[in-house]
Amino acid sequence: MSGLQAKRLVFRVAGRTLVERVGFVCERGQFVALLGANGAGKSTLIRMLAGLARPAEGQVLLDGRPLQAIDRRELARRRAYIPQNARVEWPIAVERLVALGLMPHLPVFHDLNAAMWRKVEAALAQCDLAHKRGQPADTLSGGELARAMLARALVGDPDILIADEPLAGLDPRHAIEGMARLAALAHAGRLVVASVHDLTLAARYATHVAILREGRLTAFGPTAETLTPANIRMAFDVRASIHGTGADACVDFRALA
Amino acid sequence: MRLARFLVWPAGLTLAGVLFLTPAGGTLRPSDAPAAGATSATAHGKPMRIMSLMLCNDLLLLMLVPPERIASITYLAHDAVAALMPGADRGVAVNYGTAEDVLLQRPDLILAGTYSAAMARKLAQRAGARVVEVPATNSFEDIRRVVRQVGAAVGEPERADILLAGMDAKLARLSAERAPHPLRVVAWSGGGSVPGRGTLTDAIISAAGGENIAAKLPDTRYGSFGLEELLAARPDAILQGETRWTGPSLRDSQTAHPLIERYWRGRVVGYPDAAYTCGLPQSADAALALRAVFRALPAEQAAW
Amino acid sequence: MVRTRGYTYQTLCVLLLLLPAAFALSLAIGRVALPFSELLHGLAAPKPNLAWLILAELRIPRTVLALVVGATLGLGGAALQGLLRNPLAEPGLLGVSGGAALGAVIAIYFGLATAFVLAIPLLGIAGALAAGALTFLFGRSGTLTLILAGAAVSGLAGAGLSLALNFAPSPYAAYEITTWLLGSVAERDWAQIALCMPFILAGWLCLAFTPRGLDLLTLGEAQAESLGVNLSLLRAQVLAGVALSVGAATAMAGAIGFVGLVAPHLVRPFVGHQPSRILLPSALFGALLLLVTDIAIRVLPTSNELKLGVLTSLIGTPFFFWLVLHLRRLSP
Repeated sequence: MSGLQAKRLVFRVAGRTLVERVGFVCERGQFVALLGANGAGKSTLIRMLAGLARPAEGQVLLDGRPLQAIDRRELARRRAYIPQNARVEWPIAVERLVALGLMPHLPVFHDLNAAMWRKVEAALAQCDLAHKRGQPADTLSGGELARAMLARALVGDPDILIADEPLAGLDPRHAIEGMARLAALAHAGRLVVASVHDLTLAARYATHVAILREGRLTAFGPTAETLTPANIRMAFDVRASIHGTGADACVDFRALA
Repeated sequence: MRLARFLVWPAGLTLAGVLFLTPAGGTLRPSDAPAAGATSATAHGKPMRIMSLMLCNDLLLLMLVPPERIASITYLAHDAVAALMPGADRGVAVNYGTAEDVLLQRPDLILAGTYSAAMARKLAQRAGARVVEVPATNSFEDIRRVVRQVGAAVGEPERADILLAGMDAKLARLSAERAPHPLRVVAWSGGGSVPGRGTLTDAIISAAGGENIAAKLPDTRYGSFGLEELLAARPDAILQGETRWTGPSLRDSQTAHPLIERYWRGRVVGYPDAAYTCGLPQSADAALALRAVFRALPAEQAAW
Repeated sequence: MVRTRGYTYQTLCVLLLLLPAAFALSLAIGRVALPFSELLHGLAAPKPNLAWLILAELRIPRTVLALVVGATLGLGGAALQGLLRNPLAEPGLLGVSGGAALGAVIAIYFGLATAFVLAIPLLGIAGALAAGALTFLFGRSGTLTLILAGAAVSGLAGAGLSLALNFAPSPYAAYEITTWLLGSVAERDWAQIALCMPFILAGWLCLAFTPRGLDLLTLGEAQAESLGVNLSLLRAQVLAGVALSVGAATAMAGAIGFVGLVAPHLVRPFVGHQPSRILLPSALFGALLLLVTDIAIRVLPTSNELKLGVLTSLIGTPFFFWLVLHLRRLSP
């Protein structure tokens, strides 16, 4: 089985259950948008899928193997993770930031070789950052920094990309570009799992959606069948209507009367 | 507890200063005049409750008057007494130099050092005591002056003269016999300051027939001397003060620098700190003892 | 293709040229004025001779010790700043030096060292470890908290030192504790250096395995972990490395502050901000800085030699002030 499988995941903290028996299967080539209201447990689920939080019960399988059984570095090579509002702690150059994504591929005490620098170049170009390569990363705009983080995640050529709200804080144009980029990655054969708040963008670009409410998975499946007014109402307590399909889809919603 | 009190002592002084700086109700009596040290005690009979606030005074006092006339000596005296006149302080009370001690022990005479004199004078008004300020001693001439001063103050001038006569006889003997050959020495206790010209240590070394190489340092009195200078100066012997404090300290490891071990083995001479820092009749004995050590030192020089 | 490598190699080359120069200068300068020719002659002349003794037994150990202690502080500062992503992190400010000093003072003045020579470095390391762990524990949530926790731990170590002074076995010991705490590399012998060196080397080795983890922490803890960094192992490595090396160095030389703060900051403009690129230059620069300071002490015409730690603090404190001002301007 090639892909990511969540099996009855439960996560508790201080006696509160944040994620309650969540299970689903997703495969390479899919772009799974994780939807849900604030506090529905999206970030916790994302962290468990990435292997950064250990579920109290259940497990996550990557190509049939439990994440816990996979070596740290191997896991780092096969899946990339971008947290919400990722920041840089030191003003290092953008290309150095992106190169950090290659570290799991590099033996200890080795420096990056020419082939690896070429990968950095490619990742920068892919994310439209070639002209910013020498700029200190702390001087980038929000959209540029998000792209730099994506380039960092992609440079190691992972099978799976897991991102927590990659569109947070982006203006409409950058949000659209970001989603298009993730969709393109899925189209190229990777599995992309991202939590998203913009329902319209999810409707247009995601191949699948997973909807969480209060820690439970209320719906999971192909976007066209799953992102329905009924499911949206269940997740967000809003009245929704969907116009158009595919790249023209538009989700409109208003408060319940 | 003793050691903890040592550190509390200066705080006690400050406190006393604050307490007694406020204008006291009493008026100054003649005996409280600053020059009190010079006046004789015999007019009203000998002082019977003498209190000493300084280590050097403690030692002089024990030599000059019987224990029953001593109100107290400082708690610091015990080790020096044990080194110079064992058992002399048996049954003598001790003080910690605090205002409370002075008020509680009600002395009729206070022997103060330069630093404790101001506090003692202020307290003396309350305690009804006379204060004698005893200056520091840096030569045998200083010793003669101080011993006579204290002897007069405690009402024992004859006893003071006898002690000084003994000291001078020893000094005369030392200068009559020629020293074997002038040994170049330094009083060095592991870095830091070394006593130079114009110190009592310098006077004792000279009296013993040695040459204090630190006396040539540009700084007066106390200079500093590193291991490098020690190697360059190549003294025939190194004098090291021996306090009776027996606790471990860094100084032990410093003076045990392998260079000292290697090149001055058998030439490191211990001396009683008290006789070198406090001007006492015993300082002449210290010089005699040092002369004897000089004679016994191996003749060969350091190897370079 | 232009790489933003900074000037790492050039910087390392300059440092590696300056270090031997400072080393030579350090051998030539001391309280006894000996011309270079005489020093050279002393090497050839029959031994022992004055020049050879001063060189082999005093100036070379002193120089080596200044280099080793300076490198340890520079490396420790750079590693701590990388781990905590905090430009104010430094062994002294985090209480590590204070803890080490307390441990060493207990070992020296309460007789443990006379019974067991390794007690000095071991207690120094134990003190450094305890202080560092305490600071890490209480200062996890930000720059300010960390500095406050460091101040609290330093205060605790200071209180312990005051207590040691209070119960010092003799007034002389109390005086010596205070002077020892000022920090110095003068007149230490080879045996003392040999005693502490293994611990310092072990600390350096621990830190040598941390650069990649520190680099990845540039992305924050979550991304670093997702890239294969074992965070608790990394923290333990840095803490153990700093405690071993700074603890043993402090046990030998006393508390020497601010080198660990100044060195990483001064090399950053030349090698960039990536933590892995700062470690080695910072260690070399720390060594150079401490050696030059120690030479300055010997040149300054004071009758009692100025203590090394006093001078580093005199230089370091204004720098610290500048840094505080500068950081306030950077972040609201």
